[in-house]
Amino acid sequence: MVNLTIDDKQVTAPKTATIYEAAKLNGINIPILCHDSKLKPFGACRMCLVEVEQMKGRQIPACTTPVTEGMIIRTSTPDIVKARKMVLELLLLNHPIDCPVCDKGGDCDLQNLTYEYQVSANRFTDEKFQHEIDYNNPLIERDMNRCVLCGKCARICDEVVSFGALTFIDRGIETKIGCEFEGALNCEFCGSCVSVCPVGSLLARPFKFKARFWALTKQKSVCGYCGTGCNLTLGVQDNKVLTTIYDAEQGFHKGLLCARGRFGYQFINNDKRLTKPMVRKDGALREASWDEALQFVAGRLKGGNVAALSTARLTNEEFVLFKDLMKLAGSASYDHSAGYAHSALTKGLSRSFGVAASTATILDIQKSDLLLVIKTDAYETHPVVGFEINQAVKNKGVKLSILSDKRGKLGKLPGAKTLVHAPGTEIALLNAITKVILDEKLTAGTAASVAGFAELERALSDFTPEAVAGQTGIDAASIVQFARDYASAEKALIIFPTGLAYPGHNADLASAAANLAILTGKLGTEGSGVLCMAEKNNSQGAVDMGFYPANGGKDAGQILEDCASGSVKTLFVAGENPLVSYPDRSKVSAALDKVDCLIVSDLFLSETAAMADVVLPACSFAEKEGTFTSVDRRVQYFKPAIKKVGLSKSDFEIFSVLINLLGGQAPASPAAAFADIAASAPGYAGMSYAKLGEEGAFAPVDVKPALVAPAVVRPTVEQGKLALLVGSVLYHCGTLSQYGEGPMYVCPEGYVEISRADAAAHKVSEGDLLTVTSSTGSTQLKARISPRLPAGVVFAPYHFEAAQVNTIWSGAAVTWVTVGK
Amino acid sequence: MNPITPIINGLKITLSHMFKKPITLQYPDERPKVASRFRGLHALNVSHNKAKCVACYLCPTVCPAKCITVEAAEDANHDKYAAKYEIDMLRCIFCGYCVEACPVDAVRMTTTFELANYRREDFVFGKERLLEKK
Ligand code: SF4
Ligand code: SF4
Ligand code: SF4
Ligand code: SF4
Ligand code: SF4
Ligand code: FES
Repeated sequence: MVNLTIDDKQVTAPKTATIYEAAKLNGINIPILCHDSKLKPFGACRMCLVEVEQMKGRQIPACTTPVTEGMIIRTSTPDIVKARKMVLELLLLNHPIDCPVCDKGGDCDLQNLTYEYQVSANRFTDEKFQHEIDYNNPLIERDMNRCVLCGKCARICDEVVSFGALTFIDRGIETKIGCEFEGALNCEFCGSCVSVCPVGSLLARPFKFKARFWALTKQKSVCGYCGTGCNLTLGVQDNKVLTTIYDAEQGFHKGLLCARGRFGYQFINNDKRLTKPMVRKDGALREASWDEALQFVAGRLKGGNVAALSTARLTNEEFVLFKDLMKLAGSASYDHSAGYAHSALTKGLSRSFGVAASTATILDIQKSDLLLVIKTDAYETHPVVGFEINQAVKNKGVKLSILSDKRGKLGKLPGAKTLVHAPGTEIALLNAITKVILDEKLTAGTAASVAGFAELERALSDFTPEAVAGQTGIDAASIVQFARDYASAEKALIIFPTGLAYPGHNADLASAAANLAILTGKLGTEGSGVLCMAEKNNSQGAVDMGFYPANGGKDAGQILEDCASGSVKTLFVAGENPLVSYPDRSKVSAALDKVDCLIVSDLFLSETAAMADVVLPACSFAEKEGTFTSVDRRVQYFKPAIKKVGLSKSDFEIFSVLINLLGGQAPASPAAAFADIAASAPGYAGMSYAKLGEEGAFAPVDVKPALVAPAVVRPTVEQGKLALLVGSVLYHCGTLSQYGEGPMYVCPEGYVEISRADAAAHKVSEGDLLTVTSSTGSTQLKARISPRLPAGVVFAPYHFEAAQVNTIWSGAAVTWVTVGK
Repeated sequence: MNPITPIINGLKITLSHMFKKPITLQYPDERPKVASRFRGLHALNVSHNKAKCVACYLCPTVCPAKCITVEAAEDANHDKYAAKYEIDMLRCIFCGYCVEACPVDAVRMTTTFELANYRREDFVFGKERLLEKK
């Protein structure tokens, strides 16, 4: 800490602080235009000028100048005010005064400063810019006439997002911000540049002219898409969510969001939302009263032979109620996709760590020395975690090792090492790395005493790098080097995503990863551990609430089989769309056809809901209160931003009524339900809505490590066929984002990504309609040729109803397909 | 004083008025001429054949009676215009703040003061009814 004087006040600040940061820490406000706490100091605008006595009264920028011991600083002498006024006058020379039509009006740093410094006249004259405005893009409008050249957009796109779409073009008075070769913007549309732009140069088109900033009600909430658990502020007017608002202080991510968090909110107000309950009569779904629908559902649940499938987007409170409801209905068969596809979490980590949760948090990423990312999809599934990785690598020099079946954006980061392995061989590869660590004695001192050590050593005897090399397609030397890199790092963190469409990411992968961390002792300390990132916003909560098969209950796959065989008569599907998101479509559809009664609660009439006997209109996260638990077990409370759409009810209300109809006793409110959770769920002790506050709280993880030998299934290789990888694409999450306009502008339909080599071999050009056939079926998908896939591998995102990728994707670790035109 | 005198005096005044010309305005046979600064019904000014209003939402923001509804939209040139502009005259207090707030001189108040009507809906003036008639 250093001591200094700011505006006659004795203060202290950390050694690394700039004058601006020191002042802010001590409650003194210095105006800024080009500075953002997430970006490196730049010093372009000169708004933050201050006087430092030791510098002979020279005016220096506070945002780039580090503090030193004994500095005497003045932040607002008449000279400084004069200088700042002049900066504003100069900026306003070229800046058009179109505040009445600019969407940034009311939230504009330039406007606010002009008002604050009372710049009502300009001593200078010059012409306004005449740049052409870029309206071409459905998400981001660029009006460079309003630009103050602070460079924030270009810097955030480069430093944080690591895309580098924007840059300064030309020099001197001609300088402007543009894309390469002054072309159109074609990036990943995270909207980060829009959020940091201090003026109205970059605007979110979906919000264009919708409302004025001051007229919006701002409600803090938690993003409803992926498990990162980003905080966001919803801008609401007339009971409609019109936009998401940037708040640089919000959440661990400081207001950063990805394309779906920033531009995917429209599903809340979508016209297609269900507003009334429906019951099937004479073969068609007809509107019914809530009373009628719920009485009918309760009657069916009382009849026995019941099972339930749920999305991982319900709140923790709702999961508890859903479980209670199933108990009352006499069934132990309930599952959410996490139990089905996230066995990495429920089975793998439980047996390796004794707890079904990650040992590390997202905050560990920037504190680590080496990140081992399994599947580069970690960026596509959890983009804001991707930002954290970008920043760790670029700003903190954290090393990055990637194991993946295809290349991805993370692999382009400086110094990143990627091993691209044959599909389905990730566990063998991790085993080989573990074997190297064992053989070269790179283990931590305590490793040999961990339960299962000897068994693991024995089980891995065949996994020499040489033996695995042939199978994985990676040479032995690289495997050895990978192992040494990981083991020699002081702190190392393993990150891998799991989700519905990651068939290879199962319990054994989790154990294989956990073994590495346990053996090398990279566990339980800051910057080390294993971060298993489940797909949806409350996947971890569903696991913590125990909404997955246990005590003889069936998992989702078995439930569907039981439906098909007739032993399950009534299936309650809450918010899930298995017909699209579960593998092997014909099996799912046969199962749903067969059940006597299909009950669906959902926001939309999804393909699954269209088959139902009863459809209950549920409401979105923006209309209810509750808690979500993020991948790193941060429990966050959110409350409603708008009134419920139509007659929809929250799943909490639906389950409550049903529980009461079945003779049980439902908790009076979500808060009461959470009190029960705090009393019973491990790690949630002592929590309450009031205590969670805006920040949320981490549910602690108590690790009891054990080494488990992961089973390895050697994927069969079918000669002459391509390996189909299924997964998430950056802009989408589950099937929900199909109802968000933003994601659909950028990525409106399913496709199949094919390597250049295979495209040439099959004479495929970009955009061709390909017939992709596997043992389970065939579907038509548009071709996208991409350099990131190795030859022999194709990739298809699974989110789209229209694309029907699950007709060809069987759920096996590797699906072999043929493509033809 | 004779108690009758004041009554007589009063009757005198009454009588004298019977022969004088009335000085009240004989509405509706006679119409007042209001001052040009009178704050009556609003009008939307027109320029280049369309309403000048750029839908900046300042008038609904400043209106103390919250009786103005503006909805903006984007026209073919990507410019902002008021797709909806509505004033509920049953709530308006004729303060004229809207006129003062307008940065582009798009709204003014006319001398029209006869706004009586039979149905509540008829007091809601949409864009069509407010557009300045030339
Ligand atoms: S939207 Fe994101 S990726 Fe695109 S230019 Fe802006 S910051 Fe870069
Ligand atoms: S577009 Fe906005 S963020 Fe980018 S340089 Fe201009 S003013 Fe700054
Ligand atoms: S990373 Fe996930 S939680 Fe964060 S904004 Fe994107 S979808 Fe939402
Ligand atoms: S005159 Fe006053 S009350 Fe009437 S619309 Fe204008 S601002 Fe509102
Ligand atoms: S203040 Fe003027 S320009 Fe703005 S909305 Fe009202 S009438 Fe239109
Ligand atoms: S904020 Fe310091 S120079 Fe721009």
